[in-house]
Amino acid sequence: MSLSSFLPIQCQGITSLPAGQLPHYAVDGQTPQAAVRPANCQQAASVLQWAAAEKLSVMPWGGGTQMSLGNSPSRYDLALDLRGMNHLLDFQPNDLTCTVEAGMTLAGLQAALAQGGKFLPLEAPLAERATIGGVLAAGASGPLRFAFGLPRDWLIGIGVVSGQGVMTRAGGKVVKNVTGYDLNKLYTGSLGTLGVIVEATFKLSPLPAAFGALLARFDSMGQAVTAGQALCAQVFAPQGLQVIAVGQISGDKSPLTSLYERGEGLTPPLQRGVGGIYAIAFFAGRPSAVKRRLEDSARFLPERGAKDLERLEEAPARDLLHQLTDLGWSSESAPKLGLKISVPPSAVGQVVAMLEKSPLYESAVAGIIADAGFGTVRLLRWGEEIPPWPKGGEKDSLMQAIAALRAQVRALGGAVVVEQCPLEWKSQLDVWDDAPQGLEIMRRLKQKFDPQSILNPGRFLGRL
Amino acid sequence: MESTRVNENFLNELRAIVGAEYVISHPADLLVYEYDGSIDMRLPQAVVLPASTQEVSQVMALAHRYGVPLAGRGSGTGLSGGAIAPPGGMQIAFTRMNRILGVDTVNRTATVEPGVINLDLDLHANKFGLRYAPDPSSQKACSLGGNIAENAGGPHCLAYGATTNHVLGLEVVLEDGAVVNLGNLAREAPGYDLRGVFVGSEGTFGVATKIVVRLLPLPETVKTFLGIFPDIDSACTAVSAIIGYGIVPAALEMIDALSIRAVQNVMDAGYPLDAGAVLLVELEGLKEEVSETSQEVEAALWEAGAAQVRVAEAAQERARLWLGRKNAFGAFGSIAPNYFLVDGVVPRTRLTEVLQRVSEVSQKYGMPIANVFHAGDGNLHPIMLYDGREPGAHEKALAAGGEILRVCVEFGGTLSGEHGIGLEKKEYMPLVYTEADLAAMQRVRDAFAPSGRLNPGKIFPDGQPPHKPPPQRAAPGMVA
Repeated sequence: MSLSSFLPIQCQGITSLPAGQLPHYAVDGQTPQAAVRPANCQQAASVLQWAAAEKLSVMPWGGGTQMSLGNSPSRYDLALDLRGMNHLLDFQPNDLTCTVEAGMTLAGLQAALAQGGKFLPLEAPLAERATIGGVLAAGASGPLRFAFGLPRDWLIGIGVVSGQGVMTRAGGKVVKNVTGYDLNKLYTGSLGTLGVIVEATFKLSPLPAAFGALLARFDSMGQAVTAGQALCAQVFAPQGLQVIAVGQISGDKSPLTSLYERGEGLTPPLQRGVGGIYAIAFFAGRPSAVKRRLEDSARFLPERGAKDLERLEEAPARDLLHQLTDLGWSSESAPKLGLKISVPPSAVGQVVAMLEKSPLYESAVAGIIADAGFGTVRLLRWGEEIPPWPKGGEKDSLMQAIAALRAQVRALGGAVVVEQCPLEWKSQLDVWDDAPQGLEIMRRLKQKFDPQSILNPGRFLGRL
Repeated sequence: MESTRVNENFLNELRAIVGAEYVISHPADLLVYEYDGSIDMRLPQAVVLPASTQEVSQVMALAHRYGVPLAGRGSGTGLSGGAIAPPGGMQIAFTRMNRILGVDTVNRTATVEPGVINLDLDLHANKFGLRYAPDPSSQKACSLGGNIAENAGGPHCLAYGATTNHVLGLEVVLEDGAVVNLGNLAREAPGYDLRGVFVGSEGTFGVATKIVVRLLPLPETVKTFLGIFPDIDSACTAVSAIIGYGIVPAALEMIDALSIRAVQNVMDAGYPLDAGAVLLVELEGLKEEVSETSQEVEAALWEAGAAQVRVAEAAQERARLWLGRKNAFGAFGSIAPNYFLVDGVVPRTRLTEVLQRVSEVSQKYGMPIANVFHAGDGNLHPIMLYDGREPGAHEKALAAGGEILRVCVEFGGTLSGEHGIGLEKKEYMPLVYTEADLAAMQRVRDAFAPSGRLNPGKIFPDGQPPHKPPPQRAAPGMVA
């Protein structure tokens, strides 16, 4: 009997999705035997109880926007699609809190919150598709993280189904809470390996009445990063600052170039600036504050080498924010190789300099996006020259370049996560970088929360 | 006599690690380590004062070998019994590990030892135009290590978050003496967020020996308002009105009539004795936004029925408005010899109803209950005022506190906003969590500290009565 036909008998009549939909749930070339879409947390728990009893491995699914994250699954039997659980369960505008089912999209949640004049100060790639559960599991964030922080900073309560199918909650619905251990932190960024997130409660912020952006062209990355960091240290600092560059273009056009050139909602300097280097500052808040920050920044940056300043307000500025957040994750901009390098902010300049000289970037259709204030640098490499199996030693040399980069970044107190790469690479490197200290505790946590190792087995750091 | 594994051999080995003068074992010397800021107490078998991570590691390994249970201790200002020694156990006191190891102005971080006093760090950071935002009321005395253990809060958490939002990295010694670094200087790191779950684990996972915290830039402008209200209802209305304007102030604190009386008994904080409540509102930010939000806050205060609104912008003037708030807890000694403070949290829109219920509890028990609290967060601090020498008074205070916690939960709230569960509230945990919820938490503890020897008997309900009958206290209102 196939898994699909066995499932409804075991799990309170939950039917599996038609076999024709299974390819949609393929990850790293593996297709599950069945996929289910529970309608509530009881159904999700019952699926997991059954999976634990049968030792079936389960991959939780939201919008599927970041499924390239992680090592290849060691087993993959069942896709657990949480998008059937997409309700806003509670929203108290004057308490600045909301509780939402994990399958609701981030954009859907923001739209509902905006009606009450509030917002969740998080961005994530492809917010129209990305679900709350997925954003939390991946620990996703966007260019405003400098001012607003990460998902961990806004999550105040969570509902999770464990690897044994037991529903548990932690935290609560109040904005300040030290009642018991802060398991919100543990589940956030755990890629669904400790439990399936089914519900989340957030604290919220008043919706910023104004939004703006300032684009400044620079002659070099180093100069742009230095200026950007100096700006981030001012009282009139922006809410986020990204330095972006397109590397050597050899014939082929990178998505970043087309982002520059596409022009829709893009500002003229970006349209003109193929191959240019930009610092892009984003501002959100009260109109008077946004105006002051923008004006002071526009005076500050030219003193530090900025050229061709361009101001964007409201919709065009928001569009640019979304384009940058989505870059590398949308289907048209998906890179062959995507690295996320997290370092102390002071090391961003060094990392960018390393990347500029690295074979990972040099002579490639590639882009660098550096969050100068926060310390996250992304390298995206497009084009066909990253082959599944290149002739000669190019793959080896790129892998060596990653190893060398990791060693240098480790010395700076950071880590290099390979977010996107050819599938074949995944058998040869841990995409999460070398295990940090505390791996033994992580191993014990995984063993205790998911003793059968059925939740996303093999995909997390240390192949947990 | 409690049975204990702290024997002469153990003490000699301890002395060999830290030096004889830094091992306290004479009962008379141990008395000062018997209590913290809560109402629980127990005499430790020994107290050790290590000076370095290496010494802490050796001490932990030794305790592991002998099977000695232990609790870490910072300044002993905790309000839930977190630093009280476990039965037959010892304390590791971090008094000597009190160095600020460095401030990194580019990354805006500070690295400190666990015994550093919260306010000392903030004042040191101020020299660089930076600040350490979490500011518990005990900030003049409490230590960063204790702040980590309890995930301490404070008035300015409303805008900036609690301790956990400011901790980047920790050097931690585990129960067997192993030293591990959790988190790092980078704002995010792959792997489970062990640093995140360590903060607020109340000393049950390990002891922190180095702490890296995030510092924030000092704001351009700060403006403080004192709204004086005829009654507590109108003050609560003002809280909702301010949030309703889309303003999240840096701090939003309430002081009720009984607390005003206590404060004015011991100092002139400028609070009128006939006021029903005062509200402290602090705004921070760019001068443009503060000037704009100031008008809205003032409007909200008047609309809610304020009898008077005072405004201060200069540091000294602001300090004066804060004076009464910061010294309120000590001032309760002028009203009653003992107090018992609970730390429940409710959704901020339910404050009026919940405070009404607190007042009913006060009437029911015939015990005055004062309220000085973080209104903007909905974090209540009802304070039962009583005389511990009267038979049954202590039990009555505990019962009243328990009833208030039940009210908080009934209104969708929780047991503790910033003080921790410790010994004090462990038996109430089933009010908010199921057995499965608690089992999940227990699993995390087992992953960090499988022996269960680190701060045992705290957080999780075990049927043990939470409080021993109180001994007489010479000096009431000890909280700094």
